[in-house]
Amino acid sequence: MGLEIVKETEEDRLMTLSVGPQHPGSGHFRFTIKVDGDYVVYCDPDPGYVHRGEEKMCEYRNFIQNIPHLERPVIHDSTNITYSYSLAVEELTNIQVPLRGQYIRALASELNRQVYTLYWLGIYGIFLGHSTMFMWPVGDRELFIDLLEALTGARVTHAYNIPGGVRNDMPEGFKDRCLRQVAYFEKRLVEYEDIFYNNPLFRQRTEGVGILTKEDAIKLGVTGSVLRASGIPFDVRKAEPYDIYNEIDFKVQYMKTGDSFARSMVPFLDMRESCQIIRTLLDKMPQSGEVRAKLQPNPKGPAGESYKRVESGRGALGYYIVSDGTPKPYRVKLSVGSFRNILALPYLLIGSKLADMPSIYWSLNYWPVEADR
Amino acid sequence: MATAPKDFRFGNFVGSLIQLIFWILIIVTLVGLPLIFIILFYVPLPPVNGEVLTPYLFFSMMVDPTRTIPIINFMIHTDMFRVAVFPGFSYAALLAAATIFIERKFLAKMQLRIGPLYAGKIEGILQLIADGLKLISKEIIVPSGADKLIFWTAPVAFVVTAAAVVSLIPAAPGWVVADLDVGIVAVFAFLGFFPLIALLFSWASNSKYPFIGGMRALHQMIAFEIPFILSALPVVILAGSLNLTDMANAQYPYWFVFFLPISAFVFYISSLAELERIPFDLPEAESEIVAGWLTETSGMIYGLIQLGTYVKLYALAGLFVILFLGGWAGPQIFPEEIMPGYTGEKIYNATTVNAVFWFTLKTLGMIMLILLPRGINPRIRIDILLHTGWYKLIVLAFINIFVALLLVYGGILGPGGLLST
Amino acid sequence: MTNSAGGFIKAIESGSKHLLIKRFTLRYPEKKLKFVGDGYQFDPKRGVGIAGSRGRHILFHDKCTGCQLCAIACEGIAEAIGMVKVNEQWKHNKKAIMPQIDYGKCVFCGLCVDACPFYALYMTNDYELSSFTKEHLIYTPSQLGIKPKYDGDVELKIGKRGADHG
Repeated sequence: MGLEIVKETEEDRLMTLSVGPQHPGSGHFRFTIKVDGDYVVYCDPDPGYVHRGEEKMCEYRNFIQNIPHLERPVIHDSTNITYSYSLAVEELTNIQVPLRGQYIRALASELNRQVYTLYWLGIYGIFLGHSTMFMWPVGDRELFIDLLEALTGARVTHAYNIPGGVRNDMPEGFKDRCLRQVAYFEKRLVEYEDIFYNNPLFRQRTEGVGILTKEDAIKLGVTGSVLRASGIPFDVRKAEPYDIYNEIDFKVQYMKTGDSFARSMVPFLDMRESCQIIRTLLDKMPQSGEVRAKLQPNPKGPAGESYKRVESGRGALGYYIVSDGTPKPYRVKLSVGSFRNILALPYLLIGSKLADMPSIYWSLNYWPVEADR
Repeated sequence: MATAPKDFRFGNFVGSLIQLIFWILIIVTLVGLPLIFIILFYVPLPPVNGEVLTPYLFFSMMVDPTRTIPIINFMIHTDMFRVAVFPGFSYAALLAAATIFIERKFLAKMQLRIGPLYAGKIEGILQLIADGLKLISKEIIVPSGADKLIFWTAPVAFVVTAAAVVSLIPAAPGWVVADLDVGIVAVFAFLGFFPLIALLFSWASNSKYPFIGGMRALHQMIAFEIPFILSALPVVILAGSLNLTDMANAQYPYWFVFFLPISAFVFYISSLAELERIPFDLPEAESEIVAGWLTETSGMIYGLIQLGTYVKLYALAGLFVILFLGGWAGPQIFPEEIMPGYTGEKIYNATTVNAVFWFTLKTLGMIMLILLPRGINPRIRIDILLHTGWYKLIVLAFINIFVALLLVYGGILGPGGLLST
Repeated sequence: MTNSAGGFIKAIESGSKHLLIKRFTLRYPEKKLKFVGDGYQFDPKRGVGIAGSRGRHILFHDKCTGCQLCAIACEGIAEAIGMVKVNEQWKHNKKAIMPQIDYGKCVFCGLCVDACPFYALYMTNDYELSSFTKEHLIYTPSQLGIKPKYDGDVELKIGKRGADHG
């Protein structure tokens, strides 16, 4: 009789935490982790919270009507997600985009890439507790949103790319305004480096954390800035150039270490390169010309299929469209970079500390709405 | 307001005004007038200089300085005044409230935005009152399975301990709520309560995220108490006494921060860690463990803990000023007499007002210095924090103890030295 | 140790420099942004739009023929346009129907403007469309015919002490 001694089993030491949709550190995405003291031993990502059936909804609308609803999965980066769709539809329906339209499309895509990357950087700052690094990028995003508002007519929901080109030409005085604001933004990037990237506390938290080696990056199939941070200089704009990108000269930014610091630095270097690309595009653009090919009211093409992909803020974003000769597509498959990057999360998180969870998770450049479609 | 206001009708507006006037008249007639009559009938008012005491005479007596100044002088030097008003609770609470507002505006300016804007006529100055009212009106949710006694008393204990630390800080020579001979040891004894309160509250919340936050708070605060005490030790050696007022007085020609810069630095970092400010706010790290040990607080419990935190901020900033920045030493900028030629008892004491002014100025400067890292640094990780606290800071503190011992035994400072009075 | 001290000092310097830079916030509603131009318009002859801000629509009663192309375009997107009978008699609008737009559903994409072949439906700069009830958000054709008065005049200016709005 008396008290019996209970031996502590392995299960008793673990604590299950649900970093769920209602958590200030996860966005609208849930993943369950089991923690042993301070170390993570199990991680299970659970996407699907924001699934709306985008791909099925595409089958009920014709090619042009699909644009406003297809830009919603990543509303910050809306030009890129409709860019790839427009390219695929143009291949299906044999439409030729005029030259000036191609330049303006690339310009809008670069401006939108800055908007998305600044928002991502802001959230990264606040996940690490740096509220200044949230306010400054979100404030500087206004510079680009202002430009996009003058160009497309709306601040975030652009609906600008359309099969056949872009919907309207640049307004008056846009080129000077753009050059001025981009020059000011490049000065701001120096401040970001001073206060965030060269801050010893930030470096201590992210250097050597969540290292993704080159072979593992290829094996897991990650894409975008995550791939480029592990030493592989792959950028869809250079590897499979589309539209006007085979005439633009730019360097692919990559880093070799593969830790969280490299994954947070590569988008920053991309932003700098993007400013250069914007200036080149504004320089080389033909001064006048059509921006949109004239279309029939309900464009349709012969039955067939096409696949096109584009470099968005998160990685390679591709569309596979099957058409059966009617104005409505038969099947639209949207292949996004976020969904492929999240495969690296359990792989990197197991064995690391709980405090590294925000810096690993958000450095994988995951946008929950896009992965759920 | 979340509801849409109804359309304005003039009849309703007039009706509400009439209702207001009605209620004021009722209260005055049913409560105010009987009170005045009772005073006039039953309390024997003394005749003054052969006259009956009428209200007019009473008011003119009140503004006569020769009668009222002795009363005010007497009330200022009571213990109650010291506890409630001057170096005690009201002063600390006022500085804490000003600190919260200044923090929000200061951080906003650094982040290129406007802070609170709409509450109050001038750029949001009544924002704190609005926040306080909001917190009072919210429902306090106690989690199921929580230990009710500790859940309700731990925030109160937090504020009480913070107020106890404030009561030991002198704000002017002779103005301290509790003048203990072992002042600085008492301060550290009180500061040792805080990890215990954090741990008890996080355990009583019966939830996972507070549990992790409480463990982190415990590790952090205990790790930084040792460098804290060790960095205050050289000041004790140089001043020759444990009493806080004596330490402030011993810095007469030169402030201690010039002789002990490393010690001041270690004290500054340790006080950031004790206060759970960024970069050391792991116990409340928002993106990893929701709100750490404060997750289950809501309503006025959260308000009490914030009040306690900012009162503690004032206390530690005041302690830094007393130990290293010379306390209330400063050039005498107030005139000796404000009404020359007035003989009789005076309230105005030039040295006291000067001391209060310089002490408040230096404390506010120190508070701004404590608020600054919030705009510049991200959060630190727990293992880097413990490594810094246990290795680097203790080594630095020891270096400074040797410097202090050298200064005293080399005859430069301390009793009988070259530079002390 | 020394380069981390240098890193800290640069961070403090960068943060303190911002105390001298002007605040970026736009103090809406006391100040409102200026838009260039009159709003998004579409030229059906050339088949391309004219850049402008996409706010509330404006319907020109003397051009609309009641062809319903805008309603058909919106059917696949937001189903916000419905055709209603109006009390006006126009020679080019025999059926006397005109579009009525429900701004509770409209996503302001502007594809209805692209669909109109008669230069009758444009968009304007007006974006302050909130109301207290859902019924007030449905704008009838006569409400859509009123030209809005929008007088924002603040622009993003980049000066020596940073960028700011007015």
